[in-house]
Amino acid sequence: MTRVEIVDPRSDPEPAGWAEFRHRLRLHPLWAYDLMGVESWLARNSVLLATARRDGRIVAALTATVCLSLRGNRFAPLPARGRPVRPHLVEVARPWLSGYPGVVFDDALGPAGRRATVARFERALTRRLGPGLVGVLYRQLGDADLANLTGRGRLTRPVDPVAVLHNTFADEEQWLSSLHKKRRSSLLRQARAVAADPTLVVRGGAGRTDLDATEASSLINRHRAGFAKIPLDTRSPVAAAYLARFLCRADVHTLTYHDSTGRLLALNIMLDNENSAVLQHWASVPVTDGGRRHLYFDAYRRAVGHLVTSGRPELTAGRGMLEVKSDLGFGPRSLHTVAVPRPLLGRLS
Amino acid sequence: MALPRSADAGGAEPVAHSPLVRGSRGWHAAYRRVVRDAFATVPLYRERWALDGRTDPVLVPGRTGHDGGAIGHGEATRRIPDLVPIGGGSAEPDPLRGLGSVLPRLDAGGLVVVLDGTGARPPADLREGLRGCVLDPNRLTTDHTGALAEINGRLRRRTTVLAVGTDKDLARLAEALEDDTLQVLPTRELSDLGSAGLLHDPLLGFLGNVGDCGRWHVDRRHVYVRETAAGLAFTVLGKASPRLVDILVGDGVPGTVARCPRHATPVLKT
Repeated sequence: MTRVEIVDPRSDPEPAGWAEFRHRLRLHPLWAYDLMGVESWLARNSVLLATARRDGRIVAALTATVCLSLRGNRFAPLPARGRPVRPHLVEVARPWLSGYPGVVFDDALGPAGRRATVARFERALTRRLGPGLVGVLYRQLGDADLANLTGRGRLTRPVDPVAVLHNTFADEEQWLSSLHKKRRSSLLRQARAVAADPTLVVRGGAGRTDLDATEASSLINRHRAGFAKIPLDTRSPVAAAYLARFLCRADVHTLTYHDSTGRLLALNIMLDNENSAVLQHWASVPVTDGGRRHLYFDAYRRAVGHLVTSGRPELTAGRGMLEVKSDLGFGPRSLHTVAVPRPLLGRLS
Repeated sequence: MALPRSADAGGAEPVAHSPLVRGSRGWHAAYRRVVRDAFATVPLYRERWALDGRTDPVLVPGRTGHDGGAIGHGEATRRIPDLVPIGGGSAEPDPLRGLGSVLPRLDAGGLVVVLDGTGARPPADLREGLRGCVLDPNRLTTDHTGALAEINGRLRRRTTVLAVGTDKDLARLAEALEDDTLQVLPTRELSDLGSAGLLHDPLLGFLGNVGDCGRWHVDRRHVYVRETAAGLAFTVLGKASPRLVDILVGDGVPGTVARCPRHATPVLKT
């Protein structure tokens, strides 16, 4: 018998066995319960975590963002408010983790078990969120995930793919030599320019505790504000309090570029575990505002260097600028969105 | 609602939020509205009060935090980007905010000269008919010769010129002028109030002044103050950005908020 439980990371204690499940499935740190709590408190749309157990052991999990607001001028209502009255949508995805689904299963769970668990998750969400729930949107699904979620009346659409670099290299040189000659020489030239800049301080590594989280979050949010707004983007600005807890983790690598006055000019955050490395946030100060050229590609070169030396199977790099990333050896991996309207929730045979 | 207990404030009666304080209910209600709005929209307060807690009002059941939820002045200054509401707003504090509310009544056509070396913009809230300017006290005789000539001309014509700044800066200005009829109003820090002047903080702006009763009055139309374990915490009422709520001016100066026996309005004693 599978038992589903939904918790609010802001107010409920961590489900028993959650850390073990996260470790067993090698989930990235964005799934850490304490981080989900901080993220949810500091977001416009709060996060729920659903777990499914068999014989007391967690075998599947789903993270749901309860999307009440697209206007973006208020944080989410308090957890004690009960079921939201306004119409709302649930997004199943981890914000700021591009290319990975928000519903995960233990390998021991077979295809039929997975579909049955998804149906249980959906019924539990419907009970928890009440009549205002208009539907569930599963985002960032890979090809293999579709079999667990598609069915009659469920809308499936392909979306922009995520960039993936498979690690087939013995060393960084081999990766460089696999690139087009023009790109290879420009990368080497840029690396020399960065190394020769006496006003630039480059530091990288896991578990950074030397960074000013407010400065880092301001840089990320300012950088993102420079792009055109994505329609129906339910993500919130990256909070300093979240970064303060996030960047000091051993599975989060942060590469920073400061100028000689100590001003943060650029940063690149990379999540890292045995399954994959993930380039998450890149942000930089514009050159017109005192920033430096070439840092974006320098950060990529260093990330690939880490991929090769650590022996991770792959490096993913988000869904934007695929042309540039393909120049660096990245290929596309298909992603899909599945939309389930309210009447069909829980009906997945 | 917890009523702050206060000791005697220079002959004032204790307790700021009692029915005996004129308009205290509305003053306190305005503060609570600001707190709730800051919790719903401003990252630093959301972070602090959600994860740690606060008092009066307690926003997250069971979490009362420390120092009543007040924020250290140094932390607020370091984290100004996190004091901007998520809907957007300015990240530049206005050190001259509230000047117009704490100045004494001046003749129409008067000039208010603020001595400030931090690059503050001219005061924007002066009463109608008054003009304001900002002079850098370190550059009076180099960059501001034109302004000094204008002030000298006004003083010769017996037009009101009021200078606002620290004692040291006011003395510099007086030295640079030909006339000695300049009116001056010194700014004071919370930790060193003295007996006359304007209570000023570089982050929050002007917070109060000395009334005709000789007591330090809070600018209660724009500022709220409460006692916490760490000291007096000030709130700028309204929705300006950056949002300043429960800031420990001077990084925590012990003091009391009481009722002025003459005006029945809140007064401070440190």
